[in-house]
Amino acid sequence: MVSETAPLLVAEGLAKGFGSGEGRVEIFRDVSLRVLAGDLLAITGPSGCGKSTLLHLFAGLDTPDAGRVALEGADWAALAPAPRAALRGAGVGFVFQFHHLLPELTAEENVALPLFLAGRPEEVGRREAREVLDRVGLLGRAGAFPRTLSGGERQRVAIARAVVRRPGLLLCDEPTGSLDAAHAARVFDLLASVAKERAGAAIIVTHDPEWARRCATIKLLGEEGLSDVARSAFPAVSGGQTVV
Amino acid sequence: MISYFLARRYLLASRREAQVGVVALAAFLGLALGVAALVVSLALLAGFQTHVRSRLLSETPHLLVTPAGRGVFHDADRVGGRIAEVSGVVSVSPVARGRIWVSMGRDAAPAEVVGREKTKGLVLDVAQARPLGIVPGETVTLVSSRSRLSPLGPIPIVSTMQVTGLAPASTGRRAAEASLPLDEARRLFALGPDGATGYEVFLKDAAHPGKAAAAVAAALGPSVAVTTWEEQNRALVLALRLERFVLFAAVFLIVIVAGLNLAATSAVLAATRAGDAAVLSVLGASPKAVERVFRAAGGGVGVAGTFFGLAIGVAAAFVLGGFGLVPLPAQLYGLGHAPFRVDALDVLVVGILSVLWSFVAAAIPARTAARQPAVEALRGV
Repeated sequence: MVSETAPLLVAEGLAKGFGSGEGRVEIFRDVSLRVLAGDLLAITGPSGCGKSTLLHLFAGLDTPDAGRVALEGADWAALAPAPRAALRGAGVGFVFQFHHLLPELTAEENVALPLFLAGRPEEVGRREAREVLDRVGLLGRAGAFPRTLSGGERQRVAIARAVVRRPGLLLCDEPTGSLDAAHAARVFDLLASVAKERAGAAIIVTHDPEWARRCATIKLLGEEGLSDVARSAFPAVSGGQTVV
Repeated sequence: MISYFLARRYLLASRREAQVGVVALAAFLGLALGVAALVVSLALLAGFQTHVRSRLLSETPHLLVTPAGRGVFHDADRVGGRIAEVSGVVSVSPVARGRIWVSMGRDAAPAEVVGREKTKGLVLDVAQARPLGIVPGETVTLVSSRSRLSPLGPIPIVSTMQVTGLAPASTGRRAAEASLPLDEARRLFALGPDGATGYEVFLKDAAHPGKAAAAVAAALGPSVAVTTWEEQNRALVLALRLERFVLFAAVFLIVIVAGLNLAATSAVLAATRAGDAAVLSVLGASPKAVERVFRAAGGGVGVAGTFFGLAIGVAAAFVLGGFGLVPLPAQLYGLGHAPFRVDALDVLVVGILSVLWSFVAAAIPARTAARQPAVEALRGV
């Protein structure tokens, strides 16, 4: 059981690179981070700096070359595949740049999928999925397949899927990157509010200063690790409000 | 279960996807044809074997009771009565069996003969009559190996009889055998009026003669030997069983090969859905759960193909057999058309083995797909 003050996520001394020998490229090193309940954190940086890779490490999808990551007190590296998958399913919600909805499933089924994978009965899963779809304003589209949804709707379904199990940590990888400005603003606002209601904490990776400055904490990822960035360094360009 | 739910959706969607749809259809049809071929082949074989078996049971006594040594039964009625009292025995007939010479004109040939109560006249086996050129209606001389005393000394016992008919070569008989009335056989073999060399016993349940054989042996003691019809025709019974096994193994190869197409289906599906597998991992699916999805998809095609094949095979066997659509030369087989007999156990075994093989074939590519790191697929999608 994690206490109220215990960090949800602890990352210490993470390093990651790709390739081997002379062709090896070091992406980042010495990345450390502690995320507490209620945090809304933006990680920003130029394209290719390893933001998505860092999220994969946080979610236990990839292993660091050095350092350790613990979610809710459990070290990813110490877990066997099955408990690792179970912890990821219960503790992590993931929103991708592209929705990555399963095209054969309806919006409702896509949202219920994490519940089905957790072994919930179909009726229960569908009911909870409809509740979350209602929250993101898509209850009327519950039976629609992803191909019939607009880009913004797909991303809202993806957000609903990410929070349906009320994860401790919501990881968002450029969640508005595939949307136009108007849809991006609506989706970001929805994401921030839903994250506050249904997730313990959220990390949003973005290279867009507009979205970074709306988060309470902003970190810049570079080769030498994460560094704090003042929100004032990101002037509002479209009148957006700070979320926290 | 979520794996079957997803697999079903993938397979339904594959109708719209050329890559998966073509290999899935090929696997489905291949397996269905293989299973149907196996069911039809087994039904044909079962039909023939049932025919052979019924002929065998009608011609061969279900139990043969003989003296354990070289002796004969001298009190045939009493011994026959004791056999008849055994539970499951329908009829008991004393027989006199032995070897004679059949002579016509200047030619003679040895022949096995058996005397039975109900036999009228002398009936020769075709194989016995042909070398001597004997046709029904002709008179032949039977010379016994036993002799009787005469004023001139011992002379062979001889009988002259008219050949009343020729019996076709019978199923499973080890040697050609002529038959004649029991009293005439007793005279030829000097057995006396109440003698017999053995008894032919027919049972209520011919399919399981072992229990009755043991009961007869127990009733008569160690001085008699009891052989069942299966023991009398051991070579034929073994050949029938072997034939069934060999046919099953040979035709099941079609199912094996068709099943390998399911591995291809599973592999193509896994390759085209690598992104989905990664998303499932992100959502909390364990590698085994992801493996189950692709295995269920390949296995699902196998189950559908198997059931379709069983339905086609059973229907084809009923139609071919019921309407006599496969004619045969009756004089050769004793049947006007090929007999088909669908055995429920055969259908069940074929179905179970085909479904099991389908899942085994689909398992390897499914496991490979499940072991792909999710991040690699996520970078690619």
